[in-house]
Amino acid sequence: MEKITITIDGKTVEAIKDQPVLMAAKENGIDIPALCHHPELENSGGSCRVCLVEAIQGGRSRIVTSCNYPVRKGLEIRTDTEQVRNIRKGVIELLLCRVPDSEVIQNLAAKYGIKEPRFFTDEGESDRNKCIACSLCTQVCEDVVGVSAISMQNRGRDKAPGTPYHKDSSVCIGCGACAYACPTNAISMKDEKGVRKIWGKKFKMVACSVCGKPYIPEAQVNWIVRTTGKERSFFDKCPDHR
Amino acid sequence: MAGQVRKKVDTKQIDKIIKSYDKSEESLLAILQDFQRSFQYVPEEGMKRLSKYMGVPESKIYAMGTFYKALSLTPRGRHTCKVCMGTACHLKGAGQILETIERELKVKRNSTTEDQRFTVESVNCVGACAMAPVVVVDEDYSGHVRQSKVMDILDKYK
Amino acid sequence: MKAITSFEQLEGYREKIKASQKKDLPSVLICFGTGCQANGAVAVADAFQEEIVKKGLKVGVNIGLKTTGCHGYCENGPLVVLRPKDVLYLKVKPKDVPEIVEKSLQNDTIVERLIYKDVNTKETIAAYHEIPFYKYQKRIALRNIGNVDPKSIDDYILSDGYKGLAKALTMKPDDIIAEVEKSGLRGRGGGGFPAGTKWRSCRAVDSDVRYVMCNGDEGDPGAFMDRSIMEGDPHSVIEGMIIGGYAVGAKQGYIYVRDEYPLAVKNLQAALADARAFGFLGKSVLGTGFDFDIKISRGGGAFVCGESSALMRSLEGKVGEPRAKYIRSVEKGLYDKPSVLNNVETWGNIPVIMQNGAEWYASFGTKGSKGTKVFSLVGKVNNTGLVEVPMGITVRELVEKIGGGILGGKKFKAVQTGGPSGGCIPEAESDLPVDFDSLTAAGSMMGSGGIIVMDENTCMVDVAKYFIGFLVEESCGKCTPCRDGLPRMHKILSDITEGNGKEGDIATLEELCDVLTYAALCGLGSSAANPVHSTIRYFREEYEAHIRDKKCPAGVCKSLITYSIDASKCTGCTLCSKKCPQGCITGERKQAHVIDKSKCIKCGVCKDVCNFDAVRIE
Repeated sequence: MEKITITIDGKTVEAIKDQPVLMAAKENGIDIPALCHHPELENSGGSCRVCLVEAIQGGRSRIVTSCNYPVRKGLEIRTDTEQVRNIRKGVIELLLCRVPDSEVIQNLAAKYGIKEPRFFTDEGESDRNKCIACSLCTQVCEDVVGVSAISMQNRGRDKAPGTPYHKDSSVCIGCGACAYACPTNAISMKDEKGVRKIWGKKFKMVACSVCGKPYIPEAQVNWIVRTTGKERSFFDKCPDHR
Repeated sequence: MAGQVRKKVDTKQIDKIIKSYDKSEESLLAILQDFQRSFQYVPEEGMKRLSKYMGVPESKIYAMGTFYKALSLTPRGRHTCKVCMGTACHLKGAGQILETIERELKVKRNSTTEDQRFTVESVNCVGACAMAPVVVVDEDYSGHVRQSKVMDILDKYK
Repeated sequence: MKAITSFEQLEGYREKIKASQKKDLPSVLICFGTGCQANGAVAVADAFQEEIVKKGLKVGVNIGLKTTGCHGYCENGPLVVLRPKDVLYLKVKPKDVPEIVEKSLQNDTIVERLIYKDVNTKETIAAYHEIPFYKYQKRIALRNIGNVDPKSIDDYILSDGYKGLAKALTMKPDDIIAEVEKSGLRGRGGGGFPAGTKWRSCRAVDSDVRYVMCNGDEGDPGAFMDRSIMEGDPHSVIEGMIIGGYAVGAKQGYIYVRDEYPLAVKNLQAALADARAFGFLGKSVLGTGFDFDIKISRGGGAFVCGESSALMRSLEGKVGEPRAKYIRSVEKGLYDKPSVLNNVETWGNIPVIMQNGAEWYASFGTKGSKGTKVFSLVGKVNNTGLVEVPMGITVRELVEKIGGGILGGKKFKAVQTGGPSGGCIPEAESDLPVDFDSLTAAGSMMGSGGIIVMDENTCMVDVAKYFIGFLVEESCGKCTPCRDGLPRMHKILSDITEGNGKEGDIATLEELCDVLTYAALCGLGSSAANPVHSTIRYFREEYEAHIRDKKCPAGVCKSLITYSIDASKCTGCTLCSKKCPQGCITGERKQAHVIDKSKCIKCGVCKDVCNFDAVRIE
């Protein structure tokens, strides 16, 4: 890991070569709003366009997404110019049009002085709820969990994650990683009476032998046992009582 | 599709198409297009078998099916009537041609007539701009189409 | 066919087929482009075949007969060219064939009614190259189209085909790249990036695998340059790619063709099979030890797949979404390997640059844009079709000289270039030279070469709405500005054209334009605002007329116009009244008719059927 210095908002900071500017900024206490990026997911980012900054390199200035713009020698970043603020505000306003019910987006919009979007909203439009189509859920499902139960479907405004044919997935293990990864809490996951419901499918859960609380779907246990060779008995107890 | 009798899909035909290509992800789109040509749509059974054969998650194949416009997940009509909406055609009245077809066939664009005779689509430029406006029925191109004559063209297809 | 394994063998073969050609044999060339086929070229070809036999003559002995790619003058198809005199017949019907055979093939006379007649001067011209549409052209990328039978590799070889490849294979890869750099060839797909520089960057990356690709996903509505080349001269693209593959060090090439172009796929497939059989593709090309092959991939009907990273994802068998990362495809492209992607026309230029040299190529065009460019000249212009001209020709020359002026003597208003990523250039600016840099400076862009001519009856707000509507449907949906911004822009534009525009709409549109331009993920999104930007820039008053006066000056926007019948012109023929789907046109025979405006749906049928120009739009 090569350490180099770059400038962010006039401050000289140390950063690792090729790491995303967003991370370098965060490590140095400079906050840039971002939704669709997850440090553990290599292919995440670049979709919501909220983390825009101005990057100046080799005398050339352009607006880039900081979540996937690599740190390079001599890079100068401006996170809060008038232009950056205006464009970012425009993007956030569009997100608010898409998901007017999302608290996450409402709060972000409020920070940028947007009360009501000036354009029509997609309220009540299909069943996409609070989804901003950032694809973090499908990436987690593919790259981390490894089952690819869901994918980003359709195109344009209708882009949304889902299971094939909107039917119960034959490969979903009910792990809920997608719901945890979602930046706008758009994926509904309910655990009730020992049953988890997610993506329309019900999963029976295994209860902890100590506290009796159902804590993990059976399908997920089977998956882990099968793919990692872990002992099944390991899952008798929940993480709190292991 | 409600009330519509869907013919049972010939799985032999599905497998024949799949096996006529290299066993590689590169072939996915071509296979889906061949399904489309063979069955007038991409059947669920086809995607399932393709997923299994190639070892590619069904969700990914389904995503392709919903992304590419050349693919349709519901059966199309016996004939496909494409009204070109390229710029040249637009300027020369393609919109009115399409409206005429919609009105006469009682169908909305990008859907199929009740009798399954036509699927009417608006398409983005078929590259025959010098003959604008253009209507393509199945593989037959008609150029310099006039609003008052377009139904004569369609009448030939039963 | 036994594969050719040396340069000498190739030349020997060329000489052999040259010798077998009968010089000055009266020949018929029938255009088999998509346009001419649609107009009935197949029946015309059959009629020639039949008539020649009927006359007791033999094809190839007494009379030559072949089908060719698109001549570009599709408006007037089916086109028939007679050699050796280069006479062009337009709109030929099967019933004209016996007369042509007798008068022009067996004898040396011209069938007057089938030759070109200038709409303005009424002058008739028989010679192909004297017709204004062809006179000002310089055909380099289109050099063979219309002359060769695309299905015949012999025909291509006869036209010096694969000579450029043979020459390139004797050169060092770096020298080939230097030659391409020196030629000044810039990418013809729209970006205008120097081809040689791209090749050099790709070659410089350390990797055991590299790819070359051809972008044949010609998606710009109103453009069909690449279709015509793939259909009419597939070997030129293949030869260019083999040279490119050798120069950058690739062993595999891909051609990505739009699904909407079935004939292009067919002709390319046949050409690839022939090229393999002849030893131009496959193991040890021409016996040099260089292995190279090409695969065809059909697109799936997604405009965004013309964007380079989306195209590569689609080739890999995935959803064709652009890549968000800041990496160039010359470093990490297809399968994350160094890759060169050029468009069809760029590849088609390569063989002839190799053959004739960089200096020759650079002698055409302007300082910053060398060579020629193929344009599809369409819309409200008299001569529509495909033309190739030296860079630097002015918009006005294109429209007036080659295009023969505006249809129906109407007023020239603007041209639109660059498809949905481009913009409009008004008549007042039309002395602008057409090259990469001047078009960009004028707020449009070269794009792949679609030039759509607009007249006084074209509404610029409607044009902007049309392009944004197109992009709404084609947005892949990955990034916020494009996915959620374009539908909002479209709504504002729709409101304006429906008479619901309000003060401030123009400023709001401009704001949204900025969000698109600076925040969108890929080129499709960041250029999506151009059609709106440029129409506001040059035609602001037209927007204002819609918003303030609720009027569409061009008479296009349905909600702002009314249909009526000019009593002084109406002859009372009753045709409109019979055809009106609403039954809202009434009147006695031989009396002026009247439209009941309360029932009229403004479908335009009456205007279409009226033979006396009596239907008025206000």
